[in-house]
Amino acid sequence: MICLLRAQCNCARSFIKMSNFFPYIVQGTAITIGVTLVALPFGLVLGLLMSLIHTYGGNILNRIAAIYSLLMRGVPPIVLLFILYFILSGRINLSPFWAGSFSLGIVSSAYQMEILRGALLAVGGGQMTAARAIGMSRLQSIRYVILPQALRLAIPPWSNEASIVLKDSSLVYALGVPEILRRAQQLSATTQQPFLAYGTAALIYFVLVFATNRALDYLSARTKLPTHA
Amino acid sequence: MKRVVVFISLVAAISLVLSGCGAGKPANHLDAIKQAGTIKVGTSADYPPFESVDASGNKVGFDVDLMTEVAKRLDVKLEWVDMPFDSLIAAVQENKIDASISAFNYSEERDQKIDFSDAYYTSEDAFTVADGFAGTVANPQDVAKYKVGVQTGTTQDSWLTDTLVADGALPESNLFRYDRVDQAMLDLKNGRIEVMMSDYVPAQAVAKQLGGLNIVYHGVLSSGPMNIVIPDKDVELQKAINEIIKQLQDEGFIDKLAVKYFAE
Repeated sequence: MICLLRAQCNCARSFIKMSNFFPYIVQGTAITIGVTLVALPFGLVLGLLMSLIHTYGGNILNRIAAIYSLLMRGVPPIVLLFILYFILSGRINLSPFWAGSFSLGIVSSAYQMEILRGALLAVGGGQMTAARAIGMSRLQSIRYVILPQALRLAIPPWSNEASIVLKDSSLVYALGVPEILRRAQQLSATTQQPFLAYGTAALIYFVLVFATNRALDYLSARTKLPTHA
Repeated sequence: MKRVVVFISLVAAISLVLSGCGAGKPANHLDAIKQAGTIKVGTSADYPPFESVDASGNKVGFDVDLMTEVAKRLDVKLEWVDMPFDSLIAAVQENKIDASISAFNYSEERDQKIDFSDAYYTSEDAFTVADGFAGTVANPQDVAKYKVGVQTGTTQDSWLTDTLVADGALPESNLFRYDRVDQAMLDLKNGRIEVMMSDYVPAQAVAKQLGGLNIVYHGVLSSGPMNIVIPDKDVELQKAINEIIKQLQDEGFIDKLAVKYFAE
């Protein structure tokens, strides 16, 4: 009888204590943001490099970049995550956080590469010809003429990729990184109140994605060139 | 096309070489743990009352208390690594964690990849149904007539797959595999599955908390002894942990834990 009473008390208590659980999920936000802040810039650098190689590299480099894009976009992020963490990093001691962030960055780099390639092509060959005509080297033309225009053009599609990476960061839970989703799962299991747990997670993700998109919209508006009306 | 094939085989070859060249591994894992002063133990903290988190995010449960005592007696600090249940064995295999405690039952399939400590507790399987279930489960084979839920990668999953599905009694399309038991129990309550197979103790805990669920059968089918998972052929660590489990059993520590968490 005492056992029964205690079990019921526990149940009631966990219901009331649900509000105490929110801080635990919110703490995961820092990790989600951390993963995104590693994956996104890493993907940007790699993607920019690959897009330049694809667009201006020679015949062979061009092919390599194309194959890279094909492979990386053809593999689900979670599969690459497992390959990097459990197979490749068997002896290289990569922590779950870094393995997860780099995998996401690699997957994202292929998409960012295509976004940037589109932007590079949109600037057009005429600009390169003109830059070369006034005596700039190819590298100078890219650096001072093409990229400043292309990067601006790339911001709107890139903000889409940024929100995808932010949401995909939930995948690192599979490696044991306690980000928002994993914490919501644990609380759902403890309290048997999945709606509250996942609702909290959804709300946090929404706020993060919303803020990111608005910030990038602002950046896009601020940096817009008068010629690109 | 040919180039793609060459490239893929190149990548495969490189990854094989990289994963193969494991040099400089310490001779004795137990010594390495003691030197580091920390044992990294994996668990899937979504399985009350064995392992779960409390309001402040601390790990609590039967396994958690047990492992805390084991680490104390090994004279090392305990570091919890939380991951989904089906990632745990891979993590032990790849030395990402030193050991894992997560209500693991012995199975031959698992034993080929990793090793087990001696048993610290014996568990039973249970079939749970929702209120208003019209069928009967007099013996375990009867569940083949219904839509059955189970957690992926558990011994219950193997039992259902190897006996009922392999015999053709339970159509594969009627077996629903879930990531976690709590998800499955919610689906059971919502009527998407008719019978849920899981460990007995967690089934009782969830049924009590959710309400509207009844355990219609319990007994040893797939489960049985619960063990701590340790790396393959890690004799020293196995011996050290086994000795501590023996002490804890003799001192009645484990019985006390069972009373605390399972109200036995």
